[in-house]
Amino acid sequence: MNTSRRVVTALLGLTLMLGGCASTNGPVSLTEVREFADASARLGGYAELSRRYRDTYEREQPYLPAAADKLARENDAKRRAVYEDFVSVQKALVLYMQTLSLLAGDARYDLSERIDDLGNGLKANTESALQQRHIAAYTGLTRLLTRVIASGYQNRSVETMVRDGDADVQVLLEAMISLTRLYYKTNENEKKTVLGIFDVELPMNTKSNDRMLVTLAKVHYLNKSSEYKLIDRRYDLALQGLTKVALGHQKLRENLHKLSEADVRRMLGNYAKDLRMIREGLSGD
Amino acid sequence: MENDSKAARDPAGDSGNTAAAAPAGQETAQSAGAQGGLASVQQIVELADQLSACADQLHERIMRDIRAYEGRTVPEAVQNTARALLDDEVVLRQRANGLYADAATYIVKSLGKSQRVVIALTTEATEKIRKIALIGDITGLVGGLLQLAGAAATGQAAPIVGALDKIRAHMAAIEASKPPAPAAKPA
Repeated sequence: MNTSRRVVTALLGLTLMLGGCASTNGPVSLTEVREFADASARLGGYAELSRRYRDTYEREQPYLPAAADKLARENDAKRRAVYEDFVSVQKALVLYMQTLSLLAGDARYDLSERIDDLGNGLKANTESALQQRHIAAYTGLTRLLTRVIASGYQNRSVETMVRDGDADVQVLLEAMISLTRLYYKTNENEKKTVLGIFDVELPMNTKSNDRMLVTLAKVHYLNKSSEYKLIDRRYDLALQGLTKVALGHQKLRENLHKLSEADVRRMLGNYAKDLRMIREGLSGD
Repeated sequence: MENDSKAARDPAGDSGNTAAAAPAGQETAQSAGAQGGLASVQQIVELADQLSACADQLHERIMRDIRAYEGRTVPEAVQNTARALLDDEVVLRQRANGLYADAATYIVKSLGKSQRVVIALTTEATEKIRKIALIGDITGLVGGLLQLAGAAATGQAAPIVGALDKIRAHMAAIEASKPPAPAAKPA
């Protein structure tokens, strides 16, 4: 009897809680929103290129003339001083996208298993005061209620986050794009410093007794030059990815009220697909 | 040798002048930076781009000088000049990279507010996710309680124990999903 009172209290509590989240919106599938947020959170490139930027001096140091070394060390200090800031911009954005993905996720909101539990509990009470048809009605109603309520709440939560976040998310993405461009430009100067010495020295070393040295230098030059070619592609992919994330989030913001429309879902799905392809391009060579 | 390279640097005077003008230009960009705004960042980057371009031109010039010998031995004096100019080129590149580093610092230091907003929104959303999870756990708890009521009616031990376990699990989940700072909540 004590138990049944607790059951009633709990049911009442549940109703109140669910009632508090009630919404006029119907269920909306946020699958594409989740996929987009997920792909945005996983997009690689920036973190690795930030590290590469930080370590510029280590790579260029052997190729630097004494006259440039002091400047190079000053630059190294400048880059290292703000590296953590570069990383924290990305961390904030990844955390945002991960949370958006969770918020738009299915697992948390699919209460059907729990509702079945509730139904089984009700069935166990067939011999008590609750009658079979009451039980069926309770279960069916709760299931319906929970789906509608949870997805409405979910939908509004996603809306709020994207609407309130877009301006600042765009600022952060724009900054990451600008920084990646600066990484690229710095890398260009590094590349030309490293390869430049061979450009100049190789044609000047024509004496036959330098042959072994010249051969080694040529091999080194070829290795370095293909290494930089591969890296160039990564800057390109990283920039493409960041631009896609910014565009995708902007489109998401613009279409918040028609997320269930087929063409909006297709568009978001395409952004997610593009981002996954860019990520694959970054993880392979 | 020192004189040689100095004299040889003159024909490349254009690049040399720009390099000399660099500190002045840098000051202009920085005083504009004092007024704030992204315009100054752009000015710094443009200046650095110019320095990089000068370095590229200088490199081309060096290469032209060397290629003029078409594989014949390059005279010692010309070699020394080429090396001195290459040093100048690398210094120009370091100056450009220094400006790129300055621009990057400006950019990243201006992001505090946006970063705080994004993190605040993330925290808010995490709280919402917690609430949804709580709805699930409470639904589960109700199921467990009902099961217990049913099991109690049968008077058999096993179903009662099973129902109690379920209730305990859901209670624990609800307990665990409480906000991290319960002290802040009004009692």
